[in-house]
Amino acid sequence: MTREEVNVQKITGYVFPKSLKEARDVLRKLGPKGMPLAGGTALHFLPDKPLGTVVDITRLGLSYIRQEGGFFAIGAATPLSDIQRYRGPRWAMHEICRRISTHQIRNVSTIGGNICRVFPWADLPVVLLAMNARMMVYNGGKKDEEVPADDFFASQPARRFAGGDLLTAVKIPVLKAGHGFGSVKANLTAAAFSLVTVAALLELKDERIRAVRAAAGSAIPFPRRLPSVEAALLGKEAVPEVFRAAAAKAGDDVKWCRQEGMSAGYIHDLAEVSLVDAFERAAEFARGRKD
Amino acid sequence: MKGNINTVSFILNGQRKTFNVEPGEKLLALLRREGCRGTKYGCGQGTCGACTVLLDGRAVYACLLFAMQAEGREVRTIESVGTFENPGEFQKELVAAGAVQCGYCIPGIVMSATALMKTEKDFDEGIVKEYMDGNLCRCTGYEKIWVALRRVLDRKAAEKPAPKAAKTSGKGAKQ
Repeated sequence: MTREEVNVQKITGYVFPKSLKEARDVLRKLGPKGMPLAGGTALHFLPDKPLGTVVDITRLGLSYIRQEGGFFAIGAATPLSDIQRYRGPRWAMHEICRRISTHQIRNVSTIGGNICRVFPWADLPVVLLAMNARMMVYNGGKKDEEVPADDFFASQPARRFAGGDLLTAVKIPVLKAGHGFGSVKANLTAAAFSLVTVAALLELKDERIRAVRAAAGSAIPFPRRLPSVEAALLGKEAVPEVFRAAAAKAGDDVKWCRQEGMSAGYIHDLAEVSLVDAFERAAEFARGRKD
Repeated sequence: MKGNINTVSFILNGQRKTFNVEPGEKLLALLRREGCRGTKYGCGQGTCGACTVLLDGRAVYACLLFAMQAEGREVRTIESVGTFENPGEFQKELVAAGAVQCGYCIPGIVMSATALMKTEKDFDEGIVKEYMDGNLCRCTGYEKIWVALRRVLDRKAAEKPAPKAAKTSGKGAKQ
């Protein structure tokens, strides 16, 4: 990236819409020449890509975190640093947000930006898949469309928004008694992109696993759930040997890729160890926080 | 908007200003061409922290923000913290500790520390590291920078009024 590319990027216009409707209308009119911007940090890694007209959605009241019944609702333009600092009952999102990049980037990057265009290193899609989150999408109707994480991350979400629709919020279920969550991000330095990110949600009853969701990302082409791993845990006792046996099944679901000079074999081993760690954290969470 | 030129207005170091910018111009480029040259161009990709400024009190990388993103907000650069003749408290301690070698990273480090001191009440090590982990220094190994920062933070902690002792007895106290 040259200094000139850093100083000025290929943007032809910059718009501040006054409402969600106006933002959607502008984006629909612009088509592929329009680009919604929340934090915008990732756009700077596309210096050669003509970005057309930027539609800034940060002034539309989409930055908040609040509890709504059985969910935490996080506005799409909420910076990661706010999610990291927030505390609510059985809140688990702060741990992964603290591990994303640096303080300065977390002050700008938003949850919406992190998940609407999934880059290979993105951590939040992995966590939201494991947590069974719901994505709220404004499509011009009176009520936002609720999209389950499994559907939202079935392919690149940016395609869903090509017609001007906008993510407004992410809803995360409040963890009930007996539920526990754990996530692990393995990287070379604190601020580096992830080598492997894994996350797990366990529901325990009498030390047996009644329900489980496990997901992985970064070392695979696109974040996804691990059905073979989940099947190996379901109904079993929540003990280390069960966790290790289940983690060994991850290779049935995904093919690990080499990363930053690390061989695929090393990444495979790293992913298995990280999964066991995530299961142990989730089980500890489930046992220790039954409020 | 006139052609491909936009105007952006924000409070820069306490003064409201309006600038003409290209839509894709970075905040870093605007600040430097407008004379805030203490904000340094380092990596240009949000890694080194040399371009750190405060946006509404939060530390951000000016190289990863479009100038337009500052519309209506408050931007503070190193020029607002101190001058050569009248340096800020942390700047004085950096000099006293011999913490400045090439000095290129220092404006960004001072701005991150400024955000820390303005935002946080407690300066435990985890919090301090969190605020400072987005600034790289390739000369000093950080030790003397850390010493200088700790001196300022310890002094600020000592200046805080001690928490009031709980009343357990005495006239009017409930038994």
